[in-house]
Amino acid sequence: MVTSSTLSDLNSSLASLERTTDELSSGKTILEPSDNPYGASRVIDLQSQLEGLSNYESDAQDGISWENTASSAMSSMNEVAQRVRELVVESANGTNNQGDLNTIATEIEQLTESIKQDANTQYAGQYVFSGTETTTPPYEQGAEKDEFKGNTETVARAVGPGGTVTVSTNISSLLGNGEASKDGKLLDTLRTIVGHLRSGTAEGKEALGTTDLTNLDTNLEALSQLQAVAGSATDQLKAALTRNEDVQTSVTEALSNTEDTNVAAVSIQYANEQAAYEAALRAGASIVQESLLNFLQ
Amino acid sequence: MTIPTLQGLQTSLSGLLAEQTALDTTGNNIANADTEGYSRQTALLEPNTPLSIPAISGHTGEGAQLGTGVTVATITRIRNVYLDAQYRTQNTSLSAAKTQAETLVLAQTAFNEPSSAGIATQLSNFWTAWNELAKSPNNEAAQQGVISAGTQLTSAFNELSAQLETISSQATEQYNSLTGPSGEVEGDANQLAQLNGQIKLAEEAGQPPNDMLDRRDLLLDKLSGMASVTVTELPDHTDTVTFGDAAKPLVEGTTVNWPQTLTEAAGGQLGALLNLTGPKGQLTALRTSLDEVASTLASSVNNHLAKQFFSGETAATLAVAVVEPSEVQASGSKSAGGNEVALEIAALRGGEAEQSYGALVEKVGSDVRSAKDDQTTLQSTLTAIGDLRQGVSGVSLDEEMTNLITFQRGYQASARTLTAMDSMLETLIEHTGVVGL
Repeated sequence: MVTSSTLSDLNSSLASLERTTDELSSGKTILEPSDNPYGASRVIDLQSQLEGLSNYESDAQDGISWENTASSAMSSMNEVAQRVRELVVESANGTNNQGDLNTIATEIEQLTESIKQDANTQYAGQYVFSGTETTTPPYEQGAEKDEFKGNTETVARAVGPGGTVTVSTNISSLLGNGEASKDGKLLDTLRTIVGHLRSGTAEGKEALGTTDLTNLDTNLEALSQLQAVAGSATDQLKAALTRNEDVQTSVTEALSNTEDTNVAAVSIQYANEQAAYEAALRAGASIVQESLLNFLQ
Repeated sequence: MTIPTLQGLQTSLSGLLAEQTALDTTGNNIANADTEGYSRQTALLEPNTPLSIPAISGHTGEGAQLGTGVTVATITRIRNVYLDAQYRTQNTSLSAAKTQAETLVLAQTAFNEPSSAGIATQLSNFWTAWNELAKSPNNEAAQQGVISAGTQLTSAFNELSAQLETISSQATEQYNSLTGPSGEVEGDANQLAQLNGQIKLAEEAGQPPNDMLDRRDLLLDKLSGMASVTVTELPDHTDTVTFGDAAKPLVEGTTVNWPQTLTEAAGGQLGALLNLTGPKGQLTALRTSLDEVASTLASSVNNHLAKQFFSGETAATLAVAVVEPSEVQASGSKSAGGNEVALEIAALRGGEAEQSYGALVEKVGSDVRSAKDDQTTLQSTLTAIGDLRQGVSGVSLDEEMTNLITFQRGYQASARTLTAMDSMLETLIEHTGVVGL
C-alpha cells in the first residue's frame, strides 16, 4: 500500500515536471487548447489580426508607390506643359516668321506625344491612369488618336478595417479626348495651338496669345489640382501606415502576454519541481525498503 | 464419568493441528502477498466441545467442563462487501471519465491548434490571398494564389472532418468489439457463470472456496469498469449481476444473458463510448459545429461572388468550385483593374466564420479540460477507496510475520505440553506398580 501511494505521488510529480519542461523548451504556455481554452481562441484571433495588419501595411506601401508613380508622371507633364506655355508666349509676340512657327508647332506636337506617354505610365504592370481598365493604355500614340481608352472607375487600397484610400487619378479630366471632342481639355488645347501655329492666319496668331493661353492656364490649374489630390492620398496612406504600426505593436504585445512563457518564473518553478521530485525519490527509496523482515531472525 | 487417560494427548494434538493449519494459512497469505485481488485469509479457531465432568462427591462437589482442545472452524477471507460496492461504483465513473478524456484528447490533437498547421492559419492565408489579388486583380499568379489558398483551406477542413469521423468510428468499433461475440463482456460473463456454479457446489459441501470467491470479485471489479454493475448474493452463494441498463441481469446463477443492448446511461467505458458518438455526445457536437463553420465560410464568401467559389455545405464536402485562374473574380465589373469584390472578401477576416471556428477551438479545449479534471478527481477517490480495501483485505507482511511467530510459538508450546503429557504417562505406565520388577 505504501509502495502504490509512493508510486502514484512520484508519477504526478513527474508529470508536472514534464509539463514545465515543455513550457520552457517551447516558450509557450498554451500548447494545446485544454491548457487555456479561452486563451487558445484568443491566440488564434490575435494571430489573424496581426496577419491582417501586415496586409494593410503592404497595401499602404503599394498605394504609396502607385501614387509616387502617378505624381512623378504628373510632374513630368507639368514641366512639359510649362515648356509649351513658354513656346506659346514666344510665338505670340509677333517676331516669328512662319518657318519659326512651324518649328514651334512641331516641337509642341512632340511634347504632346510626350505628355501622352507620361499618361501611359505603369506601376507593377498596371496602367495607373486608366481607371479600372488597368491593362489598357489610356492613350494611343499618334496625332489622330487622342481618345481616352480607360474609364473613370476608381482603384482603391484597403489600409485599415473599413478604411480604403483611392489611389487612382482621373487623368481624363485633365487630358480629355482631343481636338475632335472640343472639350477644352489639355489635348484639345494642344492640338488647337498647333493648328493655330500652322495656320499662318492673323486670327490664329491672335488666338495664340489670348484664348489658347487662357485655356492652357485653365488646364495647368486642373493639373495642379490633380497633383494635390494625389498628394493628399499619399498623406492619407502614410498616416494609415503610422497608425498601423502602433496597432501592430499593441496586438503583438497582447499576443505575447497571452501565449508566451514567463521564462523567469517558469525556470524557478522548474527548479523547485525538480528538487521536490528528487526528494520524493529519495524518501520513497528509504521508506519502501524497511520492513519487519529486516528485524526478524 | 472419569477423564480418559489419553485425553491430554488428544488435546495437545488438536492444538498442534490447529496451529499447523493456522501456520499454513499464514504461509498462504505470505505467498499471495502480491497476487491481484487476493484477500487475506484467517483460520477461525474454535474450542472443541468440552467434556462434562460430573461432581466427584455426591453432595458438595460441583461438576466441571473440561476443554478438549481447539479446532479450526473455517478458513475465512477478510472482505468488506460495502467497500467492494463503493469501489465498483467509483470505478465505473472513473472508467467513463477516462474514456471520455482519452477520446476527446484525440479529437483535440486532430485540430492541431494553436499552430501553423491548423485551420486558423489556412483561413488567415486565404484572406491574405484575396488581399494580394486586390492589389493586382488580373495578375494570373495572384489568381492562382487565391485558388491554392482556397484548396489548402478546404483540404484542411476535409482532413479534420475525416479524422473526427475516424475517431468516432473507432469508438464504435471498440464498443462493438467489447460487447460482441467473443468480446470481453461475454468472456467475463461466462467465467462468472462458471465460478457461480463451482462456488455453489463448494459452499453446499461446507467448504468456502476462498480463491474462487476472490476470482469472482476480481471479475466483478473488471466488469464494473465497463458498465455499472450491481451484485446481489443469493442464499445459495451465487451472484446475480446486473450490467449497465440491460433489461435482464447479465449473470443469473449459471445462466448468461448476453448479448443485450445498452444505452448511454449504462455508465463505465461502454456508456461513455455510446455517449460520445450518440446524438447528444460531444464528438457528434464537435462534428456538427465544424460543419457549421464550413457552411458559414462557404456562404459568406459565395455571397460576394456571381460565380460560386466554394461548393459543398459540410466540412467533408467543402471544395473549391473554381478551376481556372481566370474564373477568380476580383470585381463585379469586367474591367481588368476592378478590385472591390476582392477587398470585400479580404475584409471577411475576423468575421463570422473565423469567430465560430475560434469558439469551436475553445469548446474542444474546455471539454478536454473538464474531462481530464473529472478523471483526476475520480482517480484520487478511487485510490482512496482502493487503499481502504487493501487495508482490510490486503496482506501486511508485518502482520503475517507476527502471526508466524505467534503460531510457531503456539505450536512449540503445544508440542511441549505433549512432551509433558508423554513423560507423565511414561511415569504412569513404565514406573508405576513395578514393585519387584
